[in-house]
Order: sequence, then C-alpha cells, then structure tokens
Amino acid sequence: MTVAVRQRPDWTPYYFLLPAILITAAVVLFPVAQTIWLSLFNYVIYDPDGSQFVGFGNFAAVFRDEVFWISLRHSVVWIVGVVGLQFLLGLIAALILNESFWWRGLARALVVIPWALPSVIIGLMWTWMYDFNVGVINDALLRLGVISAPIAWLARPDTALGAIMLGLVWQGFPFFAVTILAGLQTVPAELYEAAEIDGATRWKRFTNVTLPAIGDVIATALLLRTIWVANSLDVILVMTGGGPGYATYTLPLYAFQRAYSGMEFGYGAALALVLTALLLAVVWLYVKRASRELER
Amino acid sequence: MERRRFLKTAGAAAAVTALARPALAQAATVRWWYHFDNPQNSPAQLVAKFEKENPGIKIQAEPIPWGGGNDYQTRLFAAIVAGNAPDAAMVRLSWAARFQQMRALEPLDAMIANWAGKSDIADNIWKINRGADGKQYYLPLQYVVIYLYYRADMFQQAGLQPPKTFEEFRAAAKALTKDGVAGFGMRGGAGGFDNWGPFVLGGGASFEKGGMTSEKAIAANRWYVNLMREDKVVPASAPTDSFRQIVDAFKAGRTAMAIHHVGSAAEIVGALGDKVSATPVPRAADGKGWTYFGDESNAVFAASKAKEAAFKWITFLSTAENNMELNKLTGQLPITTSAQAQWTGHPKRFVEASTASIPIAASLPDSPKTPDFISRVWPTNMQRALLGEIPPEEMMKAIEQNFHG
Repeated sequence: MTVAVRQRPDWTPYYFLLPAILITAAVVLFPVAQTIWLSLFNYVIYDPDGSQFVGFGNFAAVFRDEVFWISLRHSVVWIVGVVGLQFLLGLIAALILNESFWWRGLARALVVIPWALPSVIIGLMWTWMYDFNVGVINDALLRLGVISAPIAWLARPDTALGAIMLGLVWQGFPFFAVTILAGLQTVPAELYEAAEIDGATRWKRFTNVTLPAIGDVIATALLLRTIWVANSLDVILVMTGGGPGYATYTLPLYAFQRAYSGMEFGYGAALALVLTALLLAVVWLYVKRASRELER
Repeated sequence: MERRRFLKTAGAAAAVTALARPALAQAATVRWWYHFDNPQNSPAQLVAKFEKENPGIKIQAEPIPWGGGNDYQTRLFAAIVAGNAPDAAMVRLSWAARFQQMRALEPLDAMIANWAGKSDIADNIWKINRGADGKQYYLPLQYVVIYLYYRADMFQQAGLQPPKTFEEFRAAAKALTKDGVAGFGMRGGAGGFDNWGPFVLGGGASFEKGGMTSEKAIAANRWYVNLMREDKVVPASAPTDSFRQIVDAFKAGRTAMAIHHVGSAAEIVGALGDKVSATPVPRAADGKGWTYFGDESNAVFAASKAKEAAFKWITFLSTAENNMELNKLTGQLPITTSAQAQWTGHPKRFVEASTASIPIAASLPDSPKTPDFISRVWPTNMQRALLGEIPPEEMMKAIEQNFHG
C-alpha cells in the first residue's frame, strides 16, 4: 500500500510535462533530427531518386570549400561588429533616456521605431539611401564636400559589408537601449547617493555602481543578440544578396544560397549544422546563465 | 465538395441532361500560381469570365512573389516536394529540366491536339517550348525579348547612330560617358546574365562542353569585363545593380544605354517620352548575335486532381482575346499570332525592336544546373570579375564547371 502511494507521485509530473515535451519534439527535435539526417546525404531537391548516403562527406567538403571560409570570416566580423556597436549605442541611448528631461516619454517611444520595422523594409530603405545615383547618403556627402564623386557603397567589396552592418546596427540598438534602460531603473537611488557622499566622480559612479548592477542584464542581452545576429540573413539578402562577389556572404546566407538556389539540401544542411555547432557555445553560456537566474 | 456527394451530383447531372460535360471537368477547383511585375494588377476579371463560361470550375488564382525569379522558383519546387503543388502555374523554360527530373509535369500533347487555339501559336514557339523527350509540357503564354534601350536625343547630339556591332557599341558608350553620365547602365546584379549574354554568348561563348573556356569565349568575356575595368563606361555601382537600379538610373538620365525588354517600356517612356528608343542588341563582327528569349508558359502538374479543368483554364489564357487581356496585366507580349497583329499595349518602336530581335533570340540551356547559374554562379563570378578579384577567364571556368563538372 505504502509502495503504491509512493510510486504514483513519481509519474504524475511527467504526465503534466508530456504535452510540452511532445510539442517541443514536434517543432524542435524533429526538424533538428531531420537536418542531421539530411546532412548525411547528397540530397538534391530536384533529384530525390539520386540521393545517396555520403556519411560525413558533406562536412569534409564544407571544410575544403573556399566560400565556407570566406563566409565564416565575414560571419565573425558581422557578429562582433554588429553586436558590439549595437551594445555601445544601446548603452549610450539607455543612459541618456534614464536622465530626466521634459520630452523623455516621447524619446523613449521614438527610439523603439527601428526595432519595430520589418527587416525587409530596413533593407530596402538602406539600399536606397546608399544608392549610387539617387541615394541620400551620397548626396549629403557631396554637398558637404566630404567626397568629390558618388561612392557605390554596396558594389565595392571594401564598403559593402560595413554598409549593411550599419543598417543592422541602427535596427538593433533599441533592443539594447530598452533592455538596459529597464535594468537601470532597478538600481536603487541610495547607492548613487552613498557613492556621491563618498566623493565618487560621475565616471566612478558609472563603473562602480551602474555597471555591476546591470551586468546580468547586459550579459543576457549580449548572448541573446549574438544568437539572433549570427542567424540573421534577411537584411543582407535584400540589400546585396551576398554580393558583390562573396563580399557579403555570411554562413547562414551561404547555407541558404546552396539550399535554395542550388537546391543542394544535403550540403545546405551540413553548412547549417556547422553554424549551429559554433553557436552552441553561445547557447550553452546563455542556458547556464538562465538556469542560474532561475535558481536564485 | 465531398467526393461521394460530388459523384452523386455529377451522375445525376449526367443522367438528366444529354449535354453534360465530362464529369471530371465539372465542379473542380483549379489552384493556379502566377506572378505579375505590377502586383497591383489582378486577373480577377479573366477568372470571372472563365468561370462564367465554364460553370463548375472554380479558379483559385494565387499571386506568388517573383523576387527576380528566385523566390517564385523556390516556392514552387518546395511545394512540389511537399506534395502541395498547385494544379497549374506559370513556368519558365529554364526550370524544365528540373521538372523533368522530378517527373512533376503532365504531358499535354493529347489535350493540345484537340485544342482549337493550337494553330494561333507559331510553330517555332511550340518548338522552343518542347520538352527534352519530345513531349509538350508547356503551353506558351507570353514572351519578351531582350533589346537595347538608347537615348535617341543623346545619340543625335553626339552625331551617333544606334550601334549595330560590339565595337560601335563600345565607341558610342565611350563617347557618351561624360558629365556624370555613364554610356552603358550595365546590370551586374541579379538577372544580369541577359546583359552579359549578347556580348559573350554572341561573341562566341556557348553552353556546350568546352564552350565557355574556348579562346574566343574568354576574349569575349574579357571585352565585356573591360567595359568596366578599362573603358570605364559603366556606373561604379554596376556590379550589384539589378533591374530597379538600371531602370531608375536610365530614367534619371544617368546612363545613355540600358539592356532590358518591353516590360519596362511603359515606365521608361513615362519618364523620358520621345527621348528614348530601342534597337536589337549589337552583334559580333562576324554577324553572330545572341539575345535572351524571356519565355513564360503555363504547365499542369502531374499530381493535380483537376488536370482537365486546369488545362481548360490555361488554354483560355492562351486564346487570342484573353491572351491580350492578360498581357495588359503583365506588360509582356502576347504569344498568339492574332493578338500580336492587333497589339497596342506598347509604343510601336519597342514592339518592333522585340520582333526584330527574334532571329537571334535563344533561351538558356535545358539543364537542372541552369537556375543555379542564373541566381548564384553567374552573379558571384561576374561581380568578382568586374571588381578585379578574379581574372575574366576564371569566371568562364566557373560557369563551365557549373554545367559540365
């Protein structure tokens, strides 16, 4: 009798978890397993009968592929540049918005606008701003006398990636601004008062009070944003499609091109898995932080 | 309608009326995928007319984003693999080999044989659209031919004639490149193979094995790349310029020549009026030429459960009067001989430049590698060559590699 009573509660929690587990399996685990399975075949979508098991052949080909290494290098520049600048800009914006001035409410609303715009619109908007013939950026620089002839920002391999990154920085900094602003508002005012009494300068107050207090928020935001930025290809796709040449190829874009233009789903899956493996390090850090916060 | 009820109704209908059409053609819904360059145009009127003439067939017309051809193609193939393809769709010849390999299309020969409108489409158009196995899978719908737009006023001022040969083209481009105007608005971005083809395929390259790496082919490609690298007669943005950029730069008077088809004529004339005219693309010194035949057909999918109804709908669209209405929506040229004769949808000089180009017009090879050539292999290698990252022969090797391994 006592045994039966003890056994039942052992299973009950799992019944409650079951729906969540089933849904996760259907929408996450199954596609992941399918991608892994696909990556082991030279599966070309228009030739399903010709699909052969090639083991890790796709992965071996990936590491021999010149374009993979070009794309990987661009991905690193892309992630570090975009996330870094978004963070800096977001931090500055948050610090300003945390001060009190009479139109602060309006400013807080305005700063979210880039974040609320769809990526495709952002891509088109910046494409036209950079346009060689009719773009506003060339026009302004010409009028200011900074340049003497228009620059084809998106057609030059030395400026194309940077130009797109700037567009994405603009789109994404509000995320940091809003998150950090929320963090700033949890810092107790007494801490600043105490620091001021102790004779701390503005900079000291920032490094010794503000930063430690919002460190957790910043770390979580950075990790999340890294994952999103690493995966994002919509703006690049709209603005240059990866060109000129391979100048704006990043890993997800290359995987997308191979899968949807070449229809080589096997190879595309292998590329995507390599990217996933690289990102897992970041995900691991994030999950570790998240679970630590849960335990607190 | 539920199958059993449908059969009952159809049976009852057949029993009571001697004029009953074949049961399968009745009470069918045809899902049709299409794309128009102007997304505001809708085929609703054509659908209404068809449904009135063919009670019992419902047309579900679904607009699919084109995206330079890539988006449409991706969705169509994904839908076929997922078993959710439409009954009929607008298709391009360059996808034919992939369809063939997947056995995705229904041969239409038997149905075409009994179709009254068959003779209103020219024999050579039927021939161009025939499948590799000799069967007819494509029902021709409309076409465009790539030609050369030029600024008649600028040519006149400079005392130039519209170019007939490559060298005349280069000389004109050089003469007209001044004061912020580029002689030729080259398209190096998505879809730009149709700017490259006239000079490189016309200049001696071919899609046959070894055809891209012959001496003549490589020289032709070097000549084309040098329009940017040495002659400097194209805008600096040429490597990534696509449809929108070349048309806007031409409309704004920033370029003196551009290569496109009649689909952009209305827009360009709207901005430039009589200052713009058109002529076939220039030819090589030996008289050889090449221009892109931009085809568009309808096809019925093998997996469709409403094949006869779908066939009725696509033949309806390729019948003189309806074909003309459709082309008013797409901005292309009607495929039927009778509609061509009375076509007034574009200013005459652009239609004439189109028809004058037909003798050298060709489509891309019927190969499963062609779509990847269009959307990835050609642009990346062209752009690298234009920017001097690879020599012109490297680009030709990459194209050869794509088609012949």
